Parts: sequence; structure tokens; C-alpha cells
Amino acid sequence: MTMSSQAYSLPAPRKRLPRIRLGVLLVLPALTAITLLYALPLMRSLVTAFRDGSGAWTTEHVVRAFSLYGRDMLFSMGVVSASLALIAVMSIAIAGYLTLGATPWAVRVLRWLYRWPLFIPFVVTGQIARSFLATNGMMNNVLVETGLMASSSAQSFLDWRGLVLTFAWKQIPFVTLLLAGAMAAVERSHIEAARNAGASRLRCLFEIVLPQAAPTLWVGLILSMVAMLSVLSVPMMLIAGNPTMMTSMMAHRITYYGDYGIANALGLFSYALTAVTAWFYLRLTLRREAGA
Amino acid sequence: MKPLALTLGLLTSAVAAPAMAATTLNVFTAGDDNMVEYINEFLAPRFEAEHPDVRVRALGTGPGDAGSQAIYETLSAQRENATWGVDVAVIHQRMAGQMAEEGLLGAYVDSLPTGELASAASARNALGVDVEGYVMPMFQSQIAIAYNPALLGQPPQSYQALAEWAEEHPGQFGYNGITGGMAGVGFVFGWMYAFTDMMDTLQNGPWEEDAPEHWAEALDQLRTFNQHVTLTPGNAGTMDAMNRGEIAMGPVWMDMYYTWMADGRLNPDFRLLLLEPGMPGQPMYYVIPERAEHAELAAEFIALATSPEVQAEGIVGRFNWFPGIDAEHVRDVLSDAQWAQLYSDVTPETLAERGLSMPQADYFRAILEAYESHVSH
Amino acid sequence: MTIARIASPLVLGALLGLVAFIVFGPLLNLAMWAFAEQWFYPNRLPTGWGFSFWERVFRPRAGAWTSLFNTVLVACAAVALSMALAIPAGYALARQALPARSVIMLLFLLPQAFPNLPIFVNIAAIFYQWGLNGTLVGVVLVHALPGLVYAVWIATATFSAVDRSLEEAARNLGASPLRSFTDITLPQALPGLLAASIFVFLDSIDEFTGTFFVGAPEITTLPLLMFNASMGGNYQVAAITALILLIPSVGFMLVIERFLKADVLSRVGR
Repeated sequence: MTMSSQAYSLPAPRKRLPRIRLGVLLVLPALTAITLLYALPLMRSLVTAFRDGSGAWTTEHVVRAFSLYGRDMLFSMGVVSASLALIAVMSIAIAGYLTLGATPWAVRVLRWLYRWPLFIPFVVTGQIARSFLATNGMMNNVLVETGLMASSSAQSFLDWRGLVLTFAWKQIPFVTLLLAGAMAAVERSHIEAARNAGASRLRCLFEIVLPQAAPTLWVGLILSMVAMLSVLSVPMMLIAGNPTMMTSMMAHRITYYGDYGIANALGLFSYALTAVTAWFYLRLTLRREAGA
Repeated sequence: MKPLALTLGLLTSAVAAPAMAATTLNVFTAGDDNMVEYINEFLAPRFEAEHPDVRVRALGTGPGDAGSQAIYETLSAQRENATWGVDVAVIHQRMAGQMAEEGLLGAYVDSLPTGELASAASARNALGVDVEGYVMPMFQSQIAIAYNPALLGQPPQSYQALAEWAEEHPGQFGYNGITGGMAGVGFVFGWMYAFTDMMDTLQNGPWEEDAPEHWAEALDQLRTFNQHVTLTPGNAGTMDAMNRGEIAMGPVWMDMYYTWMADGRLNPDFRLLLLEPGMPGQPMYYVIPERAEHAELAAEFIALATSPEVQAEGIVGRFNWFPGIDAEHVRDVLSDAQWAQLYSDVTPETLAERGLSMPQADYFRAILEAYESHVSH
Repeated sequence: MTIARIASPLVLGALLGLVAFIVFGPLLNLAMWAFAEQWFYPNRLPTGWGFSFWERVFRPRAGAWTSLFNTVLVACAAVALSMALAIPAGYALARQALPARSVIMLLFLLPQAFPNLPIFVNIAAIFYQWGLNGTLVGVVLVHALPGLVYAVWIATATFSAVDRSLEEAARNLGASPLRSFTDITLPQALPGLLAASIFVFLDSIDEFTGTFFVGAPEITTLPLLMFNASMGGNYQVAAITALILLIPSVGFMLVIERFLKADVLSRVGR
């Protein structure tokens, strides 16, 4: 999928028909900007991953990236998968209740509550998590004070669990917002009919509402995954030592060694991870459309 | 939109007021936030009082070698320019050597009035590279182990004892690995001094190509050790974890430790110690880039910063750091009480015996690479 | 049968209370740090409260004012730049016959569809050569990249939603293409374009990674200031900066539905 970006160059406008020339002219500035700011750096990242110091082609960076940071790659995949699972479950629960909930006041309160973290910057989320999830942070303190946990068993959540919780805290509102929108667009008459036929609300959710809103859920989850694989501040603030997210190690390679080769090889892996997921998603939607 | 315009206007005036000064002296400093704070809060007002038309702008480039690397990249990016946007830089030892070798630094110390006040070996040689004339030490910093007496009465005194102690008390020792600042890096160097038989070679050379092959045992031990300790995020993270009671001891920079202590940000009961056979320390250097725009002003700034008065009042008196210039020049300006305070945790004898230098540049990099491929991997 | 029917309002209330704690607990903790003068183990609550760290953040030398100014300036410039590029592009993509339209749309999707850290790293390397690193221009450009993507998509969707018949009527009455655009199309598209601007603005205020590689240390924005304070262990300073950053974020969250109309949302990406 990354290769398609190479097609950014357009046919020269001058020789084209005058009818389309205006449109091309209007798009051209934005296209130039995206080419310089996106396509060019993208090319550079792909090329540098395979070039050694003298400019010859090599796979050494990729090999070294795997041998040095293989564990971090697995860690990233694990954290992202766990976060996505948590995000999916929670946003289905919240959006489902917002759509089908029977208690109007509870629906109103929940609608007001859930989206607070929606636009909170990642860097702020990282700081919040750092003080909230620490051994003697507020979460453990509240658990101890309310007698739910012995103070001796308090432990720090600033590891993979902290990352999963932080990513989920930030992304659940986003996916829920999308999903609740999609669920609201489902024909009420379908739900009413099922309800009249005696189906429980839970069954309605999983057999009628969710299947229709599923494509939106997928889009939300893929966007969340990209976000989690892009964020630098949160893993830097939460995770000490290794293994950690690949983003942290890319930055480490560059800030400590000025080593763009291995950093870009790591970047390659995060592209691949996203591309594979996107491919699964596309196959899924294509099959669904073919089946429909 | 009106409130926005109003805010903008207010902001512009707030920013523009100090910017009225004719000349801006750009001081780039590597290291943690406390370095920026020292320059901003202590040095800048004094220098500006002497030079009313100059404004000092301190910019922090981040902790550890990454901060020095950022300064190096800033300078080498401007290599072709007539003047460079950095007037004074404060950098670590390893990068000082590399930058001097690449011709990025100007030789200024010989004509500096305070130039003769720093005679320590580290003022002439940075990890095996001759930097004489290019650097003035800002202060001498030392890595030490901070511990919480409330959580352990008899702290281990050597690396060997620490390794055993950590095994018995899992999670109670914490350090920041090698990616989060120099305190952790220095701790690892100390580990290599203790558990390889190359302590002297690592510090003084010569470089031996096959040396890393002899480190396997020490690195394996460190790998085991790491399974019993808590890894903290950064130099500050270690002190933070101590503050929160998560760990009982960990390596810290003494300068940072004392800054926090003076701020009331650290539990005043904490104490420091140096592990046997020794832990590394290093000076931070003042340097002037070869094509600094305000090289003369920069030299005056450094002369002020390395004068006995400022070193005594600021470095030692206010922040409890070890002076960069020779101690005898600073000693005269200080009271006995202040002098005693400097050595309240670590005696001068211990410091002389256990305060080591960082490894030579080649070993420096080789140890970090070996750590990444053997220990953290 | 269902949870909701069995659950008494008490259980429901308890569940909502839990949600409230999960959402607001971390925020409350942050607010406490902003006013804590002294707080260390084993105290569960701060042992000293006060404003002395606020004074420290906002004293002239501390850099908070400069960072705030930079943040707002960069955000406004990024909005101006990306909207100036996105309005004509969005109009053309919505209305004009373009060669390889789907490829262009895909190109404008890619920056959001793939992790952007490698991009920022390489932009920084390229900007070094162009002398843009550490300059406001460089930072504005790097902020305009994600902004441009949002802006083009929302603008395209917005222009597609504008009623075409009114435009054609104006043209039939003799208005020039430009006139019909400024008098008819633009006013109708304004809410959507405003939404796009707000998105770009928020995105720029929150931007960390790009500024970290391209701007630091010369250009400091609030997120960078916050990050440095946090990594330097200055929890109070970090908390205060974070609170400032929360103002636009929370403010927009509360009014988002007024700006994102369903008819525009449903067209995004078409």
C-alpha cells in the first residue's frame, strides 16, 4: 500500500484539456505540499532503511533492527493488540448502552461522561497516567483506602499494563463516538421488530445493531492502531528500559547515535504492521460487499 | 474572536518586552532541566547586570548524551554557514572530544582570565581526546547511590554486595537503564569496572578491538541483576521513584540530587554513598563553537561563570555541586560550614578513592552497544 | 432478562460512579499536582498546598510565556496555511473532473493511515539540509502536514454537501464562477470549513513528535515544555502546563456536535 504513494506525480497540466486545467491548478498547491512534506520523507525513510554509510544497498539495518529490537517489536504488537481488544469491548459496551439503554437518565449521564478524554493530548495523557498509575499513585491509594487492596500488595502499573490502560483511556471515547454515530444510523424499525419478536437487548446489540455498525468499528480501531504506533511521548514517559514501544527505540537510535538506518528499518516494520491490518480490513469489506 | 486577539496582544507584549535587548546570547545546554534553571536563574541575571544590552537565552537540549548529540547536530547542520546560532554550549565529555576533533569548537581558554584556574586532567583530556584550550569545566559531577534510610539501615557498600542485596530484595533497587540519561549509563560503567578486570584500561586506554569479547560474564551478571531491579524512566525518574517509596535506592547525579533537595522536592532523610570499587563522574564543559556569532561575549560569559566568586556562590553555595575550577580557588571564598556541607555525605577521601572517570570514547560506545545486544535485548 | 432491566438504579449508579472515577480520577490527580507544594511518600495527599509553582512557571524567564506564544502562533499559522491549500483543493476534488482523483484522495489519506513517526524523523533530516530546523517556519510546516490532511478531507466533504442547484442558478443569472463561489458556495460551506479549522488548530496545539524533532530546542511549544518538565521530574510544572493544554481540548469536546454535522461526517472519505 505504501508503494501507491509513488504515483504522486501528475501528468503535466499544460498539455491537458483546458476543461480540467482549472481543477488541476486548484489541487496543485496542496499536492505539492503533501509531496514535499509527506511523499519525500516517506521515500527517504524507505531508502535509508536499505542504504549503508557509503550509499550502497544493504539489508544490514533491517537485520540489526530485528536482532537488537525484536523483543520491542513483539512488545509493541502485544500492547497494541491488548489495547485494541480493550477499546473494542468498552466502546461496544458504551455505544451499545447509549443506543439501546432503557434508563434515560443513565444514558444521558453516560453520554456526558464518556467523551471527556476525547481531545486530551497524548502528552498530557502520559503525564496523567504517570502520576495516577504509579505504585503510590491515586489509583492504588483509592483501592487501599477503600479497603479493596492491602497496601503491601500495591504495585506500579507503569509497564505494558499502564500503556494499555492509557491508550484505552484516550482512544475509547474516539471509537465510541464513531460507533455510537453508526449505531444511531441503524434503522430503528429493525430493532423494534426484533424487540417485538422477543429478542433481548443484548441479542439486539450483537445480532442487529453491531453487524451493521461493524465497518465503522473497524475504521475506528485501525485509526487507533495507527495512533498508538505513532505516539512517542507516552511510551517515553511511562516505560523505563526494555522492552518498550518501537517508537521509543526509533527516537533512541536517532537522539543517541544519529543512526537513521536502524531507525528507519524500525519504521519499516511499523508500516508493515499497519499495512497487513489494512489489507485484512479491505479483504473483509470486499468479501462482505460481495456477499451482500 | 475578540478574546483571541486580546490574548495575542497580551502575549506579544509579554514576549516582546525582554526581546527589546540589542543582542541575544544563545546558550545551549545538554543535561536535565536543572542545568537550564541554573543558567536562567543564576548566571543570566548576573551577566545581564554587567551587560545591560545583552539578553541571555538558555535552551535545554535534553538529558544525557542525547542532549550533547543534539547540540552536535545543530552545529554540524550549520557547518557551511558564516556564523552559527550557538554562542555558548554546555556539553558532556564524549561529545566534547568528537566536536573538537571535527573542528566545531573554538580555542578560547588561553585568553580567558580564568583559564588557569582549572588544572585537572579532565580540563585537558576528554575521554582520551585532547581538548586542551577548547573547554572549561562548568562543574564536576559525580554519580552516587542515593538510599532511603527508612527502608534500609545497612546499605550495601560495593557493587558485589549490591548484586547480592538486590537478589534478596527484588525491585528495591532502581536505575534508568542506558536510554534515560547518564546516571544509569554511569552505573553500568561502574558495573563494568567492578566485574571485568579492565577497570584501568577502560578509563585510560588503549583501545583493544577484541575487548568486548571479555565482557560476556559481566554482562550476563548484569542481565541477571536487571531481573531483580526496577527500571525507572530517566535520571529524575529514579529520584521520583524513591520519593514515591517504590524503590529504596538507586544511582543519581549528585548535582541533581542536591538541587531537588534544596527545592524541598526530595525527602530530606535520603543519604548518598559511593559503591566500591568506584562510580564514574564527569565535568560538564563550557565550549564556544568555532563560528559563534558573539564569540567575545561568550568568552566573557564563561569567564564570569568560571570565576571563583560565581563558582563558590552559585555552584557550591547555592546548589552544592562540586566546582569546575580547582577547589583551592573556591575554598577561600567559602565559609567552613559551606565547605563541610559539600562533603556531608561523601568524604573527600572516599571521593578521591571511588570517584572514577568515564570510559574512553571507544569503550564508551562499545559498552553501550554491548548492553543493548546482551543485556536489554 | 437484560442487564439493564434486572439492574436496580443503585447498581446502575455504582457503575456510572466507576466510569466517573475512571474518567475524572486521573484528571483530579493532575489538578492536585498543580497545587501541591510538597508531596512525597508515604503521604497519600500533598503535605503543602500553594501557588508557588504557578509563580515559577509564569515568571518571565521560565519560558512558559514564550511557549504559549509559540503554540498559539504556530497553531494559527498552521490553520491559515492548511486552509489556504485545502479550500481550493477540496473544491476541485468535490466539483471538478480530475485525472487520477482516487489516487489523489489516497495520497491525502496515507499520512493518517500509517504511523507518522518515521515521517517526522525524516522531515527533520531533510529540514536540516534546508536550514528549516529550529525555525518557526519549519515547525509550522510540520504542523500543517497532519492539518492539511484533515482540512482537505473535511473541505472536500463540505463542498460535496453544498447544494449545487443554487450555484447553477447564480451562474444562469450571469454571475461569474468566482462570484458564485464567494457569494453562494463559500457561505454554505463555512460551518464545515470552520470545523476543519478547529480540527487543525487543536491538532497543532497537541502536536508533540514533529516539534520534538524539528523545533527543539530552539522552538519550544507547550507540549514540549510539559514533556521536559515531566521527564525532569518537575511534576508540578508539568501538571500546570497540562492544565493549560486541557482548556482548548475540553472546551472543544463539549461543543463538538455543534460543529460536526452528520451530513458532513457521512461524506468524509467519499
